[in-house]
Order: sequence, then C-alpha cells, then structure tokens
Amino acid sequence: MSREQYTPPTLQDRNAGPSSSSQQSQTQQTTSQPYTGGGFNLTAASLDALGDDSRPIHYLCGDCDARVTLKKGDAIRCKECGYRVLYKERTNRMIQFQAR
Amino acid sequence: MSQQNGDHEMADADADAGAGAEANESAQSEVRQEKQMLRLLPGSTDTAASFAFEKEDHTLGNALRYMITKNPSVEFCGYTIPHPSEPYMNLRIQTDDDTTVFEVLRKGLEDLSELCDVVEDKFSVARDAFNADNPDRAEAQ
Amino acid sequence: MTMAQPLDVSRYRSERHIPWAPLSAEEIEARRLVQINAETVTHTAASDFPGHYGPEQDDSWVVERFRQGLKVDFHHNKPHDAAFSLVGIDASIANAFRRILIAEIPTLAIEDVFFLDNTSVIQDEVLAHRLGLIPLTGGREGLDWLHWFHRAPSKDAFTMQTASDGDETTPVSTHNDYNTIVMTLDIECRWATVEKDGWDGKKKAAEGDVAPEEKYIKSNVYASDLVFHPQGKQSEYFSGENAIRPVNPEILIAKLRPGHRIHLRCHCIKGVGSDHAKFSPVATASYRLLPQITITQPILGADAKKFARCFPRGVIGYEPDAATGEQKAVVKNPMKDTVSRECLRHDEFKGKVKLGRVRDHFIFSVESTGQFESDELFLDAVRLLRAKAERFKRHLTELEEGR
Repeated sequence: MSREQYTPPTLQDRNAGPSSSSQQSQTQQTTSQPYTGGGFNLTAASLDALGDDSRPIHYLCGDCDARVTLKKGDAIRCKECGYRVLYKERTNRMIQFQAR
Repeated sequence: MSQQNGDHEMADADADAGAGAEANESAQSEVRQEKQMLRLLPGSTDTAASFAFEKEDHTLGNALRYMITKNPSVEFCGYTIPHPSEPYMNLRIQTDDDTTVFEVLRKGLEDLSELCDVVEDKFSVARDAFNADNPDRAEAQ
Repeated sequence: MTMAQPLDVSRYRSERHIPWAPLSAEEIEARRLVQINAETVTHTAASDFPGHYGPEQDDSWVVERFRQGLKVDFHHNKPHDAAFSLVGIDASIANAFRRILIAEIPTLAIEDVFFLDNTSVIQDEVLAHRLGLIPLTGGREGLDWLHWFHRAPSKDAFTMQTASDGDETTPVSTHNDYNTIVMTLDIECRWATVEKDGWDGKKKAAEGDVAPEEKYIKSNVYASDLVFHPQGKQSEYFSGENAIRPVNPEILIAKLRPGHRIHLRCHCIKGVGSDHAKFSPVATASYRLLPQITITQPILGADAKKFARCFPRGVIGYEPDAATGEQKAVVKNPMKDTVSRECLRHDEFKGKVKLGRVRDHFIFSVESTGQFESDELFLDAVRLLRAKAERFKRHLTELEEGR
C-alpha cells in the first residue's frame, strides 16, 4: 500500500473491532451495520452510539480520591481540592481471563 | 443446545462407571464412534511393523516396550517420539516367524493390563493392612 | 562367585567364567543391583529379558511369578503424604505410574475468571492465575461424575491443531451443570467503624496503630471467601460436606485497602496436569531406589566410628566383633541413606565397602494437593494405565478388522 492510500483508523474501526466479552455484544448489536471500508464512514448512527461529547465522565482525583464529574470543555481540576491530576475509573465492563 | 443434550446422555451412560478419565471416554464411545488412535505405519510386514499411537508418550511407550520385550518370540521392540511437539508415539516390533506383530502387541497390552490388576490388588491389601495397624491417620495440615 | 561381584555377560561368554544360565538365586539377586562407585554408576540397565542369558534362563512374563515377586510396603500413609515401597517392578512401569500421577489424573481447577470489578493493586491476569492454582476439593463421587469440558482448540496452538486435524469426534462443549462449577468472589475492604465493628479504625490509625487487621475490615482475601454456587444437578452431588471448596481455606489470595474491591466469577472445569500444572493432583510424586551398603570386610573400633559418620544418622550401627572384641560397624537402616558416597573417599575403607541401589525396589513418595487422598491417587494411576492398555486393545481390534 502506498502512503497516499493509507487511511488512519477511525471511530468506525473501533466499533467494528472484536469484543472481548459477552456483555459488550449488547452494545455492539445496536451499532452493527455492514462495514463499508475506507475508514471515513462517519455516519450519524455510529456517532450516536459513541455518545455525544457532552455526556459527563467520572474521574478520580489523584490527591483526595474524590469523584470528579467532567463534561466537555470543563477544566481538568478536582472540585474538592483543586488538584490537577485526575485518573480514569476502571471500566464497568466484565473482562474475561484464563486462569493460566 | 444440541451439545447440552449430548452431554446429558453421556451422564446416563457412565452413571456407574469408575475412575474419572476412562469413565468419560468410554461413555463418549457409546454416543459416537471412538476415534482410532492406533495406526500401522507404511512398509510393515506380519513380523516387522511400526505402530503410531496418537496422543501417547513415554508413559505408555516405555511400559509397553518393556512388556513386549518380555515376550520370548520378540526379536526387537523399541519406541520413539519422532517430534516433541507432535502427539505421536511410534512403536517398532520385530518378531520371530512363528508369530505376528499383532499377536505380540495384543499380548503386550494384555500383560500390561494384568500387571495393573496385580499391582492394584497387592497395593490395596497392603494399604488396608497398614491402615488397620495405624488407625491414627490424622495430620497437621 | 561372590554375591557382590558384577555380572558382566560378555566376560562370562568369552571366558566361560560361570556355567551358562539358568542363573542361581545368588546371581538373580546380584543382577538386581545398580553399582555405585566413587566416580561412576554401572550396571544401570535391567537384564531380565528373555535371551539375555541364553535360552536356559526364563525371563518371560508370567503373571503368577510377578505376583509372587511383587511386594508393597507402606512407610506412612497420610491423606496429603504417602510413602511406600514397590518391590519387584521394572523402572518403566514404576515411571509410568509416576508420570500418570503427575500429568494424567484429572482434577478440578478454576479455568476462566470473569472480572466484574477489581480495584485492588493486583492485576486481573495475575489474580486469575493465582486463583487457578488454588487446589479445590469436594465430594469424590461428584468429582468422578463431572464431565470433561472440551475447549475449542486455540488458533495459535500448533500441537492442538495437528492433533485435532479432521477430528470431529471431540466437539466443542458448552458450559453446563455437567462440566462446569461456578464460584464467585465478592469482597470489599473498608475502614473499621464503631457502628459496624465496635471500634474505630481511623481513630486507631491516628493513634499510631499499624496493624491492617485493626484498622480495616476484609483487608485480606482468603481462599475461604470463594463462594460455591451449585448449578442444576450439582446440588445432588455437592451439598453439605461434599461442597466444592478450597482444600486450604487459609490461602491468601490478595491484600486490600479501604475502597478496594474484587468482584469476580470463576468457572472451574476438569482437566489434566499435562494441560496445565494447576490440574495436577499431586504436589510431588517421586520415587528413589533403595540404597544398599555391603560391608565386605569388618570395619572396627575408631574406623567404625568414622565409617558411621560418613552416613546420615541411623544408617550404620555397632555390634561387638566376635574375633577382636572391638565394636564393628553394621548396616542398620539403608533406607535412610542418601548415597553421598562419602565412605568411598577414605582410604581406610578401600575394598571394605560396596555401595549400590536395588534396581527394582522403588520407594515412592506421593504428596497429594488434597483433592484426593494420596493412596487413592496411586490406585487411580494404576487403573488409568490399565484403561490405556484396554483402550489400545480395542483400537488394535479395529485396526486388524480394517485391514
């Protein structure tokens, strides 16, 4: 493949990727549609499934361990203590491992 | 779902069977044909042949080799595992003219089976006698 | 010919040193010995095969002769540790039993772990691996009843693929009550509080108490925290004292701090040690040959004392020598010997002692992990070897019919 033909991976690709757990398959089914290739097919449905950017996301403060809720455009800052390092919460999806 | 039913059938078949591993295997054979694990390698005659045992290793290979070498009409018996990442054990038998490799292999397997019976008997008797003499088997875990 | 002399067949053949077979009882006894010299070990191979000593010596397989020659002697027999001697058996057979004990007797172990939450410091994959290695136990009848779970062969496991090439006889299983045991672990650590526990952990911490058990509740996760959930028919087999449980409830799985939580679900299946060591029913299963010490010339007085010090305590004892009245070294208990060969390093014992091991005297040691009792495991191994022989007898019949 030449440099010009290369298309960077997109949101669409992420949705089409294999799921590692059975719980994921539920969310997958709502978005499942034929993969049309090219990587640039940003349809309304695929964006919907990702959720809009205004959805609040929860973080944990690196200093006081308080739960911080941020929306798009919010300052990255703990509302309790003002600390500027926030951590993502662990995924609430089920993850499967082999005991080997 | 059909698999589930299959498993339930198996349960009925081996409800009264003994040791775990073999019980399940023999039960499976009732549901479907047991897979052939023994193969004759090309170039064999009645008195000199190589057998390929699938999914077997030194455990059966060496024990069977010993039992077959104990047979006076056997000229040669040896086993090899041609490659460590392939699940095959090859057993070579060469016999005198008055018998065939099949008879010899069958006798070897029968002798091995007999041996196990004797060991099981003697072991059980010795164990029971020992336990009777030493009733306190408690141990600190 | 003295008893300790080596039986070198080629020498006999060329010099006509002894009459040709049948062997005398003495010679039969001598060929049981593996000789251990200062630098070498000789006469290691068994020679009890027909034709080895010519046509007169009958070494063929006779089951009655084997039955008479076989001796089983128990040394101790505890559920987690059995030791016994098996005398009159070939190394190939003894080794088959040992190999089956380690790798082919099926047991139950955790195979799949589904993490719903894990905010502890121990990573998911490490925790899953730890859980897998916990020995589980339960009702013997139920464990025998439990079926295999046939996993789909992994795409990158070459050996599995070659073995299952065109093999439609082992289909992939689905999880059901016949082949899968479900266990859960849900535990969260928190500070001790006055309302719930009667004391205040945070206060204790402020006072300088450093013991985690004083400050926190559930700071240690033990194997006993695993909860067994019987599915379907399983409640018939695994209820009351037969419930599936860890052999040792005190196995420490993880350490937590307030706010940490582990919530997971385990699927346990039956497997064999050749697939993964977690399925092995034994911690160790091993054998050694009985050491033999032969004192050929009397070792007396101070020499006897020095001689005894060449061996572990209890191996060598003393007896008054009739000829000199001095103390004479005698072999008391060769079982305790480690065959260090120390006595062969000293000139004063040269030509006075011979070391060896008895080729057909196997001192087995079987240490069960607790799912089954050690002596039962050995019987299982014997039955499994017979089952193998019987299985290939069937295959041989099919092979002959198909020809």
